[in-house]
Amino acid sequence: MTAYLCRHYFFTLKVLKDSGRQRKETRLESSIFQPSVSILIPAYNEELVIGRILQRMSELTYPSDKMKIVVINDASTDATGKIAKQYAETHSFIGVLHRNEQEGRRGKGAALNAGLKHAEGEIILCFDADYYPQRNIVEQLVRPFEDPKVGAVQGRVTVLNEPNNLVTRLVALERIGGYRVDQQARDGLGLITQFGGTVGGFKRSVLESLGGWDESILAEDTDLTFRVYLAGFEVRYVNNAECYEEAVENWRAYWKQRYRWSRGHMQCAFKHLSKVLRSTNLTVRQKIDAVLLLNVYFMPILVLLSWIIFVPLVFMNVRPGLGMGWAATSISAYSFVGNFAPFFEVAVGAYLDGRNRAHWLTSLLIFTFLYNIPICTKAFADLVVSKISGKKGARWDKTSHSGDGNSYIMN
Amino acid sequence: MLENLSPTMFTAVALGVVMFVLFMFLPALLELIKPRDAGPRKIIEDTSGDRKLKITSMEETEEIEVDQAIVKRVSSILSVLPNLEA
Repeated sequence: MTAYLCRHYFFTLKVLKDSGRQRKETRLESSIFQPSVSILIPAYNEELVIGRILQRMSELTYPSDKMKIVVINDASTDATGKIAKQYAETHSFIGVLHRNEQEGRRGKGAALNAGLKHAEGEIILCFDADYYPQRNIVEQLVRPFEDPKVGAVQGRVTVLNEPNNLVTRLVALERIGGYRVDQQARDGLGLITQFGGTVGGFKRSVLESLGGWDESILAEDTDLTFRVYLAGFEVRYVNNAECYEEAVENWRAYWKQRYRWSRGHMQCAFKHLSKVLRSTNLTVRQKIDAVLLLNVYFMPILVLLSWIIFVPLVFMNVRPGLGMGWAATSISAYSFVGNFAPFFEVAVGAYLDGRNRAHWLTSLLIFTFLYNIPICTKAFADLVVSKISGKKGARWDKTSHSGDGNSYIMN
Repeated sequence: MLENLSPTMFTAVALGVVMFVLFMFLPALLELIKPRDAGPRKIIEDTSGDRKLKITSMEETEEIEVDQAIVKRVSSILSVLPNLEA
């Protein structure tokens, strides 16, 4: 936990130190780099939001003759395919890949692999159907690919429906800490910048050489991040490439989403930990960061274990010192690892974003922190059971979207 | 451990915990009751690249104008040259 505290402390200092410099660097960039781009949008029952993103895609400033959008209609049972088809009929650069029930609904990775076969661009970008990017996002995302060492790129995710309720406001805070500080600092320090599965992409040659997305991993984005680094390439984070997302709106949806993330992340830890330690393509600093990143979803389980051990000690009065240890552990766990981004990181992110009072809610992140303890514990238990029994892992459970964020775009 | 605490100590600790929790959550409660943060964050349409393009094209336009001026001057000189020959 102390290692995580130090890590996030350095991240926060790094971002604070660089906040002025990065703005200047952005203005100095002048190159015109316009490779052909394919944008993959996997969609399963997204009729409430698919029209919004396709409309936005038609407004992008990137030359349409160098851009092809592939909507992967993953055997939807609603009007997703129909809406996408309408856009394809009126925009030559939009295409729709319809998957039937036999082919489809096997998870995001499978849908993206199907889309990849129909993508022709040098750069492959991915967007989720509930996302809404800034108009010049493609220009921003392709720019790092001028460097031949760059294999993947990640843009910034901003919560659109933030004012809706407490859950969306807390998710927005997590995103601020995670992207504005965490990802930005990792990129600046040359550590493991994470590809988040959306608002980002890959050099096509790199993605194909890696064999595309691993359909057996629930966190297919984290898996690809590590495969990119292990192959000797880098992932870059572009803070200026911003995109809205529709955050989960209730605690049940939050559980489903985080369960998938934590279980997938643990799968990645089992798959990549030894490879990371043996890799000759990673620096020592990257290896340390990779180990911390791969193990982050085990931390809530350690916190639970410490509570299980120490609480009885308080009441059994075995040793007063050990009893105090329980209090120290609970307080330090809350402050050090928080909800995977310590609270000072979230607050600094909000400050750098110029938010006047969003960080006043920081203390409420204790609820997401506590909620993540059973989520991660269940994910770990289920993963162990499936490994022992040899049964197939959990299916890819998609997050449902309501399209409620539209009102904020109009404003 | 808890049994060793005197009633006064226990009250002081309990009061301290309540005060700590109150202070910790007070800003959050205020913001929840009366939200004043203008969320969601407006995404930045960074057009620095576009601006650069415009600047570049303006420079090109200026160069063309300069070139045309030189061409006019040279042509006026050239138009005088036959007269000099004459």
